[in-house]
Amino acid sequence: MTPAHVSEEVHVELNLSTDNALAITSARRLAGRAGFDEAGQSLIATAVSELATNIIRYGGGGEVVLRLIHEQGEVGQPGRDGVEVVAEDHGPGIRNIERAMQDHFSTGKSLGLGLPGVKRLMDEFFINSKPGVGTLCIARKWRR
Amino acid sequence: MTAKNPVLTALDADLSVRVLNQIPTPVMAVDKDFKIVFMNEAGCSLLGLPLGEITQYKCSELMNSLHCGTPECRMNQAMQSGARATARNEVNIDGRAVPIEYTAAPLKDEAGNIIGGVEYVIDITSRVRDEQKLREQSRTIMEISTPAISLWEGIVVLPVVGVVDSMRAQQMMNTMLAKIKETSSKIIILDIQGVAAVDTAVANHLIKITKATKLMGCRCLISGISPAVAETLVQLGIDLGDVATNATLKDSLGDAFELLHYEVRKTK
Repeated sequence: MTPAHVSEEVHVELNLSTDNALAITSARRLAGRAGFDEAGQSLIATAVSELATNIIRYGGGGEVVLRLIHEQGEVGQPGRDGVEVVAEDHGPGIRNIERAMQDHFSTGKSLGLGLPGVKRLMDEFFINSKPGVGTLCIARKWRR
Repeated sequence: MTAKNPVLTALDADLSVRVLNQIPTPVMAVDKDFKIVFMNEAGCSLLGLPLGEITQYKCSELMNSLHCGTPECRMNQAMQSGARATARNEVNIDGRAVPIEYTAAPLKDEAGNIIGGVEYVIDITSRVRDEQKLREQSRTIMEISTPAISLWEGIVVLPVVGVVDSMRAQQMMNTMLAKIKETSSKIIILDIQGVAAVDTAVANHLIKITKATKLMGCRCLISGISPAVAETLVQLGIDLGDVATNATLKDSLGDAFELLHYEVRKTK
């Protein structure tokens, strides 16, 4: 991912299932400040909820960082604003990322649409996971 | 050089001890074998022993903490790695368990060799209590925000507001099933307009709830699917299957009346 200018940053610690609420409301508010409409806020909040749920359920707790980002446009072109979500845990990690990114694949009893869903909800998506070390997921959505 | 002056050095040492004794929280130093070499006054009074006696013990003998003797011990980690380390722990003094947070740092001699460790301890009893209270309060908020309303003969509405996690979903399930039994309702409307984020976990819960209500001979209608939620569900790839959904509670109520063969008429 190309680096972007960060103008605001919110950290949400995730340990208990009730912590998800703060991540969702913070994401909504930040997306609102970035100028996203109701639908955009909903998409971003849902993606954050998805990642936060994973961290709490499978990652043994972690943190999600929400960022208001800006990218400069080409010469003479306006730049664009967006939201960046960085979700990180130091849990058991994902053994097979390719499979985790497939629809309807789940090691738990979930629908198995979470990670691929996040990728579809957002514009940019990056995931890296090492078994025994943890999982890092970065996703971005730009305002149109 | 002032540092070489033995009188000033002694004064410095004396001053350092007095400073440490003014700190209202335990500060302790140990050698590499974890034998206590210093404890400030706050630590001595916590343990209820004079310094002269305390220095005869290893720290684990007096603290009896959950980390003592385990790889979790931050004092050990600080001495091994040379870096500061902080953690939550629980000490056991006179049979009383006290939640603490402690920070350990390596203790070095003039040449920079690690000769032991130093740590300070903060009693976090009130913080732990506050956290507990906060958790209980959020649970209470969840409980009071899951009401099931008998809207009409045979029709129950459950407005869902806020965040749905698995605990909340379980609560909704229980509330609904109990209400169905109590009122012999044939239709239950789950209004999700106020749900903060309908993600795959929430959708999964909703599907399960509709299945359970079906088993009890009750139809479940989901209302409050806003354009934003509809788009999100499609993007996520969620198939709500044969669950009847509507944009508004009004629409679902209209459907419910129709299914129960009610007719709403204006008489004048």
